Amino acid sequence: MDFFAAQDRARRKTFQLVLLFAIAIVGLIVATNLLVGVVVALSTTAGLVDPGAMLRSQPTQTWVVISLGVLICIGGASLYKYLALRSGGRAIAEMLGARQIAPGTQALDERRLLNVIEEMSIASGVHVPAVYRIDEDGINAFAAGFGTDDAVVCVTKGTLERLNREELQGVIGHEFSHVLNGDSRLNLRLIALLNGILFIGLVGRILLRSNTTGSSRRNSGGAAVLALGVGLIAIGAAGTLCGNLIKAAVSRQREFLADAASVQFTRNPHGIANALKKIGGSTNGSMLANAHAHEASHMFFSQAVKLFFGSMMATHPPLPERIRAIEPSWDGQYIAGTPIVEMSDTPDGAAGFVDGVPADAPSNVVAAVGNPTTASIARAQGLIAGLPPHSVEAARDPWGACALVYAMLLPQSDAGRRRLLEMLEPHVLAHLDDVEPTLVGLDDTQRLTLVALACPALMTLSHPQYERFVADVVALIRADRRIDLFEWVMHRVLLKSLKPHFEGAHSPAVRYRDFAALQGQVAETLSAIVRAGGHSSDAQQRAFAAGAAAVELDLQFAPSDDVNFNRLNDALRELRGLHPLAKPRLIKGCAACALTDGVSPSERALLIGIAATLDCPLPPDLALPA
Amino acid sequence: MGFGTLTFLGIVVVLVVWFVSIYNKLVTLKNRYVNAFAQIEVQLKRRYDLIPNLIETAKGYLAHERGTLEAVVSARNQAVAGLAAAAKDPGNAGAMEQLGRAEGALGGALGRLNVVMEAYPDLKANQNMMQLSEELTSTENRVAFARQAYNDQVTSYNTYKQTFPPVLLAAFLGHGADASLLEFADHAAIQEAPKVKF
Repeated sequence: MDFFAAQDRARRKTFQLVLLFAIAIVGLIVATNLLVGVVVALSTTAGLVDPGAMLRSQPTQTWVVISLGVLICIGGASLYKYLALRSGGRAIAEMLGARQIAPGTQALDERRLLNVIEEMSIASGVHVPAVYRIDEDGINAFAAGFGTDDAVVCVTKGTLERLNREELQGVIGHEFSHVLNGDSRLNLRLIALLNGILFIGLVGRILLRSNTTGSSRRNSGGAAVLALGVGLIAIGAAGTLCGNLIKAAVSRQREFLADAASVQFTRNPHGIANALKKIGGSTNGSMLANAHAHEASHMFFSQAVKLFFGSMMATHPPLPERIRAIEPSWDGQYIAGTPIVEMSDTPDGAAGFVDGVPADAPSNVVAAVGNPTTASIARAQGLIAGLPPHSVEAARDPWGACALVYAMLLPQSDAGRRRLLEMLEPHVLAHLDDVEPTLVGLDDTQRLTLVALACPALMTLSHPQYERFVADVVALIRADRRIDLFEWVMHRVLLKSLKPHFEGAHSPAVRYRDFAALQGQVAETLSAIVRAGGHSSDAQQRAFAAGAAAVELDLQFAPSDDVNFNRLNDALRELRGLHPLAKPRLIKGCAACALTDGVSPSERALLIGIAATLDCPLPPDLALPA
Repeated sequence: MGFGTLTFLGIVVVLVVWFVSIYNKLVTLKNRYVNAFAQIEVQLKRRYDLIPNLIETAKGYLAHERGTLEAVVSARNQAVAGLAAAAKDPGNAGAMEQLGRAEGALGGALGRLNVVMEAYPDLKANQNMMQLSEELTSTENRVAFARQAYNDQVTSYNTYKQTFPPVLLAAFLGHGADASLLEFADHAAIQEAPKVKF
């Protein structure tokens, strides 16, 4: 999967979606006008005799008012939903009443799921998302979010109980691919837009209810309101129909693609194929009874709501088609998805995939972005297994996670350390002695893995606790009045992962189609990488030249040993607004800079930090030559 | 039909959207404190699971202190029951108070056990006992942190519910009662050696 092309395609689909939506609105306006016309014509004797003349005698103002009314309803409702979704993926989980699974849970089925998700997140180069569960028997799951930063994963109780680890991996791989290629952003937008169309039916229902409780049934006016209410409900149903058609048009093909991506990710077609077979073989299948399931039906792994009017409105391709696409030799037999009694949490050996993707050329680095493979999973499993168990346990607990971050940022030497300790949150401080020894001897990659693992626990902090945590982190970084490389990468990664959860998410707007206005920023970024390498001035010039050539721009550079992180932050802020199809060149340039004369650990960490800031997740198995 | 109808309709739409948004926000804030309570539950369960092991280890040494040990066991069972009741309805005033009292009683019983253990240096030096004691202290701190988060979420729910305009609708929408904070007696104060003051 070409990550950048997929992002671009998802953006173009959004335009298609808005167009379809506009057509649906026009259709609904016409339908409402027709309905009112019919009601008016039928409710007066003059109208019954000669409806045509009666309607033509109505002032045009009537139709204008009706049309504007419809527009206000739809626009208002869509706007409201759009604003309600500002908290990102979490809003969908909360709308469905899902419960967050505690990151430190010891319940075997939940622990197994979290382990699978941790592996896949590290393998994809993103932080571990918050995981929710819905207590229903149907086997289903979804991932929602504007991007990798605010994504959440949610599974049903049925999934936890009936799928084995291999099948869980297949399902989670499918969901991760939706997030990585921009589908989930599209899906959230769909929910906001469709809410407007569904709103008309809601108004109809309100009118109906107010009419039956009122006393105005005696006069014809009451009958008209009743008719209007019923009519609006009918239009609302028509609106739902339009909505489902739009959803189907946009989302069905993407399900096949996500299935394929999952197979590529896990190199194991059986996992996801068996999961689909189990859905086919169980009584509830993937159906959900939740009242809000309709709104989010296109986001689920498999069909979540009953189909009326046949397969045209299905949000997902039929199960047999999906299974055959993965396993052409399928014999048509489903698997009975009975709850598993003996749960096993041993990862299936991805042995033999020890070596990573050789990143000996910048184009390989670009190809690796957003493209985790089986090797990535093996590497992720190895990374997690190689961490001291006590530190991993601490990372899964909010208190321990805070202590880990403090411990990574605290200066080792006594000078100033005591003063800093006095300033930090006392509860967390108590845990520091416990946690600090576990960090001894860990390299930067391992520390960053711990940070990625710690994210879901940090997301369970309350708002005041989060603000205190951020303040402490900033104070720790500022303490020695220098920002060193690791501190910078940590700060970027932490903020990026936590800010959307606590301060609202949004998808980064595309502000620049090409590099025309961004030459200075690109130069700043490449300079940072080159200077972080600790090479001689000549080597720096060569590396920069290689980078500039890869980006195909003519850039200026001055060798130095210091990296100015403030300027780098400003540059990256602008570069985030680059069009997805322009980003590969930038990544190529960064990679070219780093790969000249071998990659030092600082260059490696910086490359990862920069790629993360640009929303280009890099898998950990990138074997950058030392 | 005229612009009068349009304005009326506009007002209806605004009212409905306003209603819906207040309702949804109340539900969201409530779910957040329920979730926060689930985090406390995880830590408390861990804490309670450590105690039977502690009792087993101590039994051999503390043959003559059966009373103290039994007090711990019964306090622990009370706390487990209190937790189960509270988990069914987080934020309920009665349940939260009961859990708080049960935890306080458990802390007191453990404190007395600690005092008793001072007289048995063999027990204190036992590896298993040292590890368990340390884990117990660790869970106390984790619970404190989780409790702080829960209380923060409860406060933000109650505050929103009491501001205008949600205050007009809260009771009608099924969010009448304020959620209750979770308070524990201060264990540290119990276990600390008394300081002499002049």
